[in-house]
Amino acid sequence: MPTMTYLQAISDAMREEMRSDERVFVMGEDIGTFGGAFKVTDGFIDEFGPQRVMDTPLAESAIIGCAIGAACEGLRPIAEMQFSDFVSCGFDQLVNVAGKMYYRQGLSVNITVRLPSGGGFSGGPFHSQNPEGWFMHSPGLKVVAPSTAEDAKGLLISAVHDPNPVVFMEHKHLYRRVKGDVAEGTYETPFSARTAREGEDLTVIAYGAMVHTALEATEDLDGASIEVLDLRSLVPLDEEAILASVRKTSKVVIVDEANATCAAGAQVAALIAERGWEDLDGPVVRVSTPDVPIPFSPTLEQAVLPQVDDVKEACRELLAY
Amino acid sequence: MSSSPTDVLVDVTMPQMGVSVAEGTVVEWKKQAGDWVERDEIIASISTDKIDTDVEAPASGRVREILVEVGTTVEVGVVLARIATDAKPGEPHASEGDASADGTSEADVALDAPGGAGDLSGDTEATHAGTAQRGSPEVRRSGPRRYSPVVMRIAAEHGIDLEKVEGTGRGGRVRKPDVLAYIESGGNGGAAEEPPMHIESPYKPDAPTERKPRPSRIGRAEPAPAATAGQGRPLSRMRQSIGRAMIESLQTAATCTTIIEADMTGIAGDREKTGLTWLPYVARATVEALREFPSLNATLEGETFTEYDAVHLGIAVSLGDGGLIVPVIRDAQDLSIEGLGKAIKALARRARDGELTPDDVRGGTFTITNPGGYGSIMATPVINQPQVAILDTEAVVKRPVVLSDDRGNDSIAIRHMTYLCMSWDHRALDGALAAQFLAALRKRLEWWN
Repeated sequence: MPTMTYLQAISDAMREEMRSDERVFVMGEDIGTFGGAFKVTDGFIDEFGPQRVMDTPLAESAIIGCAIGAACEGLRPIAEMQFSDFVSCGFDQLVNVAGKMYYRQGLSVNITVRLPSGGGFSGGPFHSQNPEGWFMHSPGLKVVAPSTAEDAKGLLISAVHDPNPVVFMEHKHLYRRVKGDVAEGTYETPFSARTAREGEDLTVIAYGAMVHTALEATEDLDGASIEVLDLRSLVPLDEEAILASVRKTSKVVIVDEANATCAAGAQVAALIAERGWEDLDGPVVRVSTPDVPIPFSPTLEQAVLPQVDDVKEACRELLAY
Repeated sequence: MSSSPTDVLVDVTMPQMGVSVAEGTVVEWKKQAGDWVERDEIIASISTDKIDTDVEAPASGRVREILVEVGTTVEVGVVLARIATDAKPGEPHASEGDASADGTSEADVALDAPGGAGDLSGDTEATHAGTAQRGSPEVRRSGPRRYSPVVMRIAAEHGIDLEKVEGTGRGGRVRKPDVLAYIESGGNGGAAEEPPMHIESPYKPDAPTERKPRPSRIGRAEPAPAATAGQGRPLSRMRQSIGRAMIESLQTAATCTTIIEADMTGIAGDREKTGLTWLPYVARATVEALREFPSLNATLEGETFTEYDAVHLGIAVSLGDGGLIVPVIRDAQDLSIEGLGKAIKALARRARDGELTPDDVRGGTFTITNPGGYGSIMATPVINQPQVAILDTEAVVKRPVVLSDDRGNDSIAIRHMTYLCMSWDHRALDGALAAQFLAALRKRLEWWN
C-alpha cells in the first residue's frame, strides 16, 4: 500500500474517479496549467485535457452555478474553491440552488465542492476560516471533513458518488503534514464517525485537524484512558456513534477549530444534552475558537486556535470532576 | 431497584393468545422503567410463531421495572414488567427519591442549596471567565450532595443509597467510577434485584439489548437517493416466517399444479343480484367439492395422512408490503354463500388491523389464495403445510369461446372465463384425482343457479 500525504490522497481520489468515470471533471481558479493554489490538481490538465480540467474566472458563484447545471445534465463535477473563505461569493448557488434542488424539483445535484479550510499558518482572517457550520445549517447539503490521508481519499470518492451536493472540507494545515497508507484504486469511506482511539474514562470528539490535536493532547494524559472520536462527517452526523461513546465514558470534551457559536461542536453538545443526558457524569466541555476573526499575527493566531495544551487542560479538569 | 414499602405493584405478564401458543418473544418495549403508563396503553410489542401483537398495561401507574429484555422468549404467564400503581403522573418515581436519604426530590435539593439561583449564575460566569469558551467545570463544595445524571441512573437501577457511597471527585463528589466500585464491592448489601433469568427456550435473543436511546427529535429533509446502488435492509419477522414456511413446503411436498378453465358467466349474472365478490362463490363450490373428494380436505404429516369431515377453509389475505396471513374459516360447510362472504370480509379486516389471534390462523384443512384481483390469470401456489392442496383463483376475464348446443352446433360467444389453478402434493394423491376434483368444482361453478 503506497504512503501518501493528505494532499496526494485527495489528488489520487480525483484522478481515480476521472479515469474510471468520464462524467467526472474538475473546475476552479488556476487549477489547470498552474495546478491549483495548493497543487492538488498538478498535472491533471496534461492527463485529462482542458475540457475536464477547467480554469474558471474568479467568480465562485459562476463556478458553483456551472457545476449545478452540469450535474443536472448528468455530469459529476468537482468544484474547487481556492480557499474555503471564498465560498461566501458562491453562497446563493450552493445554499439556495444546489441545497434545495432535490426538495423543489426532485433533481439530484451530484456536485462536490472542495473547500480548503482552516488556519494555523498565519493566513489571516480571509484565508483561515472553518465555515462548515454555515453549510450544516443549510438543509440539502452534506458536509464531510477528513482528518487522515486514507479518509481524505475515501470520503472524496464517496462524495463524488453521492447524488447530493457534498461540501468537502479539506484542512490546509494537514495537506503536507499528515501522511498515511492509502489503498490504491477506488474505495468509499462511509459518512460516519471513526474511533481514532479507544478509551474508557473520557471521550474527545473532534474532526479535521483537531483530531490530531486531540490525539496528541491525550496520548499520555496522567495515565487516563481517553477515547478520541473522529466525526469525519458533520452532515449526516453520526449521532449513534457519539451517543455510544458517551454511554461508555460519560465524560465528553468537544474540540472544534471553528468559531464556537453554532459550530459543529455546538450541535454535538446539544445532541448529548438532549439524548445522552442520563449517561453524563459531568458537564459537556467545549474547546473551540472564540467568536473572533482569525488573526494574522502568529502569536495571536496560536492564542485563538485550540492548542494541544488547551485540550489537555480541559481533559484534566473534566477527569478530576 | 428496590421497592419502597408503600409500592403497590401490578404484574404485566406474557398474555395467553389462543390455546396453541405457549410462548412469546418481546420485540419492543414502548415504555421504559420510570415511564408513566395509562391503563390499556400499549406497553410492549410481542411476537409469537403465529402472529405479532401488542401487550397493554393492566393498570395505570409508573413502570417500576422491566424484567424481560427485548429479544427474549418466555412462556405465557411469565411476568414481563411491574407497574407501581400508587405513583402519580409527573412525579419522580420512587427510585429517584432514594437518591437522598430523606426522600426529598432533586428539585428540592437544588432549591435548598445555599445561594440558590444566584449561585447558579455565579457558576456560569466562573465557567466563562478567563479563556473564552474554554470553561472548566466549577464545583459546588457545600450544601447537600448533588449527583450527575449517570450516577442517579445507576443508583436507581441498582437500588443504591448514594449517601453511603464515598465520592472521589472534586469536593467529595460521587462519580460514575465511585458508584460502579460500590456495586462491585457489594456495598449495596445484595439489595439489588437481579432480573430473573428467563425460562429455557430454544430461541436466541435477536441482538444484545441495551437501554434504548432517546430518539432524535430533529426532522430532516430527505436527501436525494443514489441512482444505482440498492440499499440493503433486514427482512421483517413476518417475511422471515413466510420464507421459512414456503421453503419448508417446497422441500417437503412433491408439489404439482393442475389448471382447469371455468365459465363463470352464470355467477356473473348472480353477482349482480347479491353484490358479492367472486371469492364466496368459489369458496362455497370448493367446500362442496371437498365434501365430495375428502382426500383433498386432508393433511399429510410424515407418514400420517388424515382426512377431515369438516372443512376449515384457509383464506390467504395480503397485508400489502407487510406480507401475507392465512386466517381460517371454521366449519365452512355450515355457511351459505352470504355467510362465507361475511366471514371472509371480517377475517380480512381483522387481519389487516392486526387483530387476529393465533387460533384464527391454525387448523386449516384446505386453502384458497386469491390474487386475481390484480388481473393475473395463472399461478402455481405453494401448499400451506401440512395441507395437501391449495386452490388459486385468478382474474375472471371476458373471452370468446366455442359453445356447442344439444345438437352439436357450434357458435362463438363472449363468456366470463377464469383459470382455477390447484397445487397438490403428489405424495398424498395423484393427478387424476386432482383433475377430477377440479372438474367437479368447475361443474358447480358453471351450473350455478
